[in-house]
Parts: sequence; structure tokens; C-alpha cells
Amino acid sequence: MSEIENEQTVTEKSQTSRRDFLKLAGALAGAAGVTQLVMGNMTASASVESSGEEGTGPQWGMLIDINLCIGCQYCTFSCEAINNLADDMRYCVVTEETTQSGDKFFLSRPCMHCQESPCVHVCPVGATYKRPDGIVAMNYDRCIGCRYCQVACPYDARVFNWKEPIALSPQSPDFGYQEVPNRPRGVVEKCTFCSHRIDAGLERDLVPGVDPQATPACVNACPTKARIFGDLNNPESPISVALSEAKTILRLREELSTEPRVFYIPPKQGAENRFQGS
Amino acid sequence: MQTTIHYPKLRFGSKSVDIFPYWIGLLLAGVLFGLVGVFFVLRDGLQVTGLSNKVPWGLWISIDLSSISLGGSAFVFGVIVYLLRLKRFEVIGKLAVLLGFLGYSTAGMVLLFDLGQPLRFWHPIVYWQVHSLLWEVTMCVVLYLTVLVAELLPIIVEHPFFEEHALHEKYPIIKKVAAFAKSLSHWLHKAGPVLAIVGLTLSLLHQASLGATYSVLFGRGIWFNPSAPVQFVFSAMSGGIALLFFMGTLIFRVMRPGLVSDDVLYDVARIAGGITLLLTYLRLWDWAVTNYYSFDRNINLQTEALNAVAPYSLAFWLGQALLPAIAGAVLLSAKSVKNFRYLMAFSVIPIFAAILTRWNYNFAGLIASSTYDPYTPIIRISSYTPTWVEFAVASLVISYWLLMFSLAARYLPFQSKHSEH
Repeated sequence: MSEIENEQTVTEKSQTSRRDFLKLAGALAGAAGVTQLVMGNMTASASVESSGEEGTGPQWGMLIDINLCIGCQYCTFSCEAINNLADDMRYCVVTEETTQSGDKFFLSRPCMHCQESPCVHVCPVGATYKRPDGIVAMNYDRCIGCRYCQVACPYDARVFNWKEPIALSPQSPDFGYQEVPNRPRGVVEKCTFCSHRIDAGLERDLVPGVDPQATPACVNACPTKARIFGDLNNPESPISVALSEAKTILRLREELSTEPRVFYIPPKQGAENRFQGS
Repeated sequence: MQTTIHYPKLRFGSKSVDIFPYWIGLLLAGVLFGLVGVFFVLRDGLQVTGLSNKVPWGLWISIDLSSISLGGSAFVFGVIVYLLRLKRFEVIGKLAVLLGFLGYSTAGMVLLFDLGQPLRFWHPIVYWQVHSLLWEVTMCVVLYLTVLVAELLPIIVEHPFFEEHALHEKYPIIKKVAAFAKSLSHWLHKAGPVLAIVGLTLSLLHQASLGATYSVLFGRGIWFNPSAPVQFVFSAMSGGIALLFFMGTLIFRVMRPGLVSDDVLYDVARIAGGITLLLTYLRLWDWAVTNYYSFDRNINLQTEALNAVAPYSLAFWLGQALLPAIAGAVLLSAKSVKNFRYLMAFSVIPIFAAILTRWNYNFAGLIASSTYDPYTPIIRISSYTPTWVEFAVASLVISYWLLMFSLAARYLPFQSKHSEH
């Protein structure tokens, strides 16, 4: 029964992706408003789906308000510090992008922790797996370093450990201290949503997204509070409240049906854009 | 029945020299150079390669794909010899098994060095992730390599060494091992039809899955192509059998004439030609479906970007449509052409077309990828240049292939003493 359902989902998905490809073409041509409306509707249904599929436990997600992002890269630096990363091994990358009308904005990109993660599907040894709480995690002892997940990830979110782990990250101690063990040379690494903080925090009855000790480093480090973290299954959590209040929601490469768990509030257009005054 | 073996000779005035030892020496030098590269890879890891997070797969994966595809004749001839029971293909079938074994062992070797953690190469066998195409390919290749060894062993033990040799008397252990190999081979030979079915199943599975390995990656427009699995299977058959014809002509007409009749070689050429034409036909429809009957902006942009840096479309039309169509037609009419020089020259084209497909798939989809920004995504062309270490390891595996093939061409007993059973 479940197999039949899966098959149906697959066919539906392939049809959806074709339609969405055309949708992307339309969006590129300038019909972004329509796409955003559709996407806004989809976020509501996505959270309902996840509660049905994944049970009643927490489902972690992140919301990044692009209008608040000033491009300071504190998220990147704090991530580097606590994961002990070199500058060329960044899990979270901030880039300057433009809208169709030419307005500039900063795009901060952690791992999307997709619900339908391409990396989890392709890993030949199950070293990348999806935790029940939605976090896409890695078993570094099992990874063989084949790099298929890197090839499969549509967001370039994965980094391969080409060199030996470094002694001290260039961003440490300014942005924090190492909190997780080093990964060996020759495995693929990724953002964990700071699962070590979440797991430890839940044991001490802290609320991830509310209590800083249980919240991802990038969220704590953001000076403009552009990032909101929390449980998508809990309607009271800060992220659920923010998502329900947001007029439009954006997810990256929505047309691929990866169902990312990182949401964005799209940049304001034209005169409302912060960059226009400067 | 022992036939005389003609070795390639080089003439200096009145003197003629056997070039075989020099050729083997050259290949050994290639192996040694490769071992230097292997030392650096194993000591320093993959940072010695030109690979990056943008282009994580490179030269080695391309060699791996190509050598697996060129081993594609083994499963076809396993079926022809053991299931269809066409006796006249028995000797050339042995060569197909050898080419299959060489292709797959080369691929396994180069993949080992391409892993970030080479010592964990056994993980896919223990930690199953049945949804991963790469897992399926790994399992099939491991199992099929076992099948190929089982098919190759009975051929090897036909060598007179396993009957009688001075060493047998000197070291009784060698005699025991030889006797064991012979009795094992007897059973393996009896299991031939079963091995042929298993080999066919495994081959179709993983040759198709190698195409699917790329075609499920929906984030990359050029690769996301549902017909890739079928194309990979037919391309492996076309390239693999063309290679079998080329090498078969070399061995059975130049070095060891009398074992295989010309008619059998013509038939091999005709099979290769027929499949090449079929593949070209499929490819044309595939092109029409992706570029003519539908329009995908991403694929279009990627093709444009690739054309800006290399003659990508031209290479397709020339290397994968026009030339294979001509070569397929010539090989299919081998019995009318009846000229081995022409046939050998044309059989090179399907071989190169099979390699070109693999290299194209691996490189084009990797270096031209779409960025993830939401409003103005562009096609980014990443660059990748293999380092000398990568070329050294390439030299190792290619030299290994040629070395094993050369030794087999000279010493492998293709003629069967008890062919009546």
C-alpha cells in the first residue's frame, strides 16, 4: 500500500517539476508575483504535511528575513568557529544577489535540511540520513567520501574535507569556541542546524529557538535578528508565528520539490528596498 | 591443437627484434609512474587532485565509466555462448570475458583511489542503502566482477602450466593449487549457463544504473534525463562489442591465426554495427525529445554556456550521431566490405563514441550548473584541470589494462583442448 502511494508521489512529483520548470521560466520573464503567491500558499500546506508524516515530535526549521540581512557574515563566522572550519570550508555562505529589477540583496545560505533531500537519497552507505526531527545529519564514521551527495545537492551546501582538520578556526575565539569533534580528512561535511545544541538543550528542558544555548550559532550571532529558528510543528513557536504573519515566503529552487526547511522572507522591491536609498 | 603464435617484430636491416619485451617494459614504466601518484594520493588525500567542491568528480570517474562501458561485450557473449549455444563464438567469447574482467577490475582500481576514505571501500557491502543508485552499482560491480573471475578461471587453467611443469615437482604445493584450480574450474565451467544469466542480469542492472546515477540528479538540467539508463546500456554494448572486434582481429588474425574464422569476426562486427545503429537511432529521438518537442530554459542555457567554452553541440552531432551512424552502417555490412583494415578503422568510432558519452556526461553536467539564487539564477561554468597525480593514476590503470591484455594475448590458451563436451 505504502509502495503504491510512493509511486504515485513520484509521478506527481515529476509532473510537478515539469510544470515548475515552466513556472521558473515565467518567473524569470518577470511574473514573479504569481510564483510568490503560489509559494506562500504552499508553506501553509507544507507544515501540515510534515506534522502528518513525521509524527508529533518537533520539526526544526529556519526563517531568514532577507530584508534584515546586512551581509555582515557573522552567521558564517560563528558557524566556522564552533565547527572548527577553515575559511574555504564554510557551511553557511552569504552572497550578494539581485532581483529581476536589479535590486541588490544579501542571501545567506545554510543547509536547507530538505524534506526530500537529494543527498539522503543518493548516499550509497546511508552515511547521510534524516533524523526524525527533520535534520539532515551525517555519520562521519560511515562516509566513504564518494562525493555523490555533493554532486546531488542543488544548493552547493556540502563541503568535502580535502585536507586534515585545522587546529584552530581563523574565526575562533572571536566568534566562539569549537563545540563538535573534528571530522577526518576524506569525508563530506555539512551544516547540522547545530544538532548538538538542540539535543543537549532538550535534555535540559530548554527550547531551541528561544533559549540561546539550544539555538544554532548562526541564529544567535545575527546582529539584526534576521534568523528565526524553531519547531514548525508547534504553532506557538517563534518561527511558526513569523511564518503565519509573513505575507510572502520564498524557498530556494522550489521547482525541484526538495521541500527545504529553510524559509526566506523575500526582499522588498523598488523604493522599499534598503539598498535603493544608499 | 597448438597453433603457432606470431609476435610483432621490428626489422633493423637484416635483424628482426621481438618488440614484445620492450612493449611490456614500457607498460611497466607506466605502472611505476602510476604507483608514485598512488603514493601521494594515499598519503596526502584528494587535495593533490584538481577536484574541488564545485567539481567533485573528474578524470578518474570518467575513466571508471569508460572502462566499465568497454567491458560491455562480456555479458552479451556470455548469453551467446552459454544460452544460445552458438559454438562458433566460443573462442571469441573467451576474449569477451577477458575484456570484461579487465574493464571492471580497472574501474574498481581507479574508484578505490577516488574515495576520500579508501579503507572504507567495503562499507557499501555492509551498510546497505537500497535507494542509492551508487549502492546498486557498487554491489552489481562487485558481484559481476566475481562472476567474471568465475568465468575467466576455467579459461586460465587450460594453460599447460596447470597440467605439467618443472615447478610442480620442485614445490608440491604448486601442484596441489593447480589441481584444485582445475577441479574448481570444472565445476565453474558446468555452471556456465547460470553464470551467464547472473552476468546478464547484473550487467543490465548496473549499466543502466550508471546512466541513472546521473539522470536522477534533478538539480542539474543536462543530466536530468530519463532516457540515460537505456542509452548507457546500448552504448556499452556498442562500444564493448566494437572493442571486442578490434582486439579480436588483432589477436586472431595477426597474432594467432587459425583459431577464429573470418566469418565469426564478421559476425561480431555486424552485431557491433547493428547495436551502434540502434543506439544512434535512440539518441536522435532523445535529442528530439529534449530539444525539439519540449523546451527547457535551463538545458538551453547550459548548452549555450558549454558551447561558449567548447564545441559541445558539434561534438555531439559529429561524435555521437554522424560518425557512429556511418561506422554502424559499415560494420553492419561487414560481409560485403570484407576488408579488415577498413573494419578495424571504423570499429574505433563506436569505442570512442562510448567513451565520449561517458566523459561528456561526467564533465558537462558537472561544470555547467545552475546557481541557487531565487531571482536571477545563472549557469555557472566551473573549471577543472587534472593534476599530474591524477594523470599518474590514470597511467597506472591504463597501463595495467594494456599489460594484462598483452600478456593474455600472448599466453592465454584460447584454444580449448576438450571442446567436444
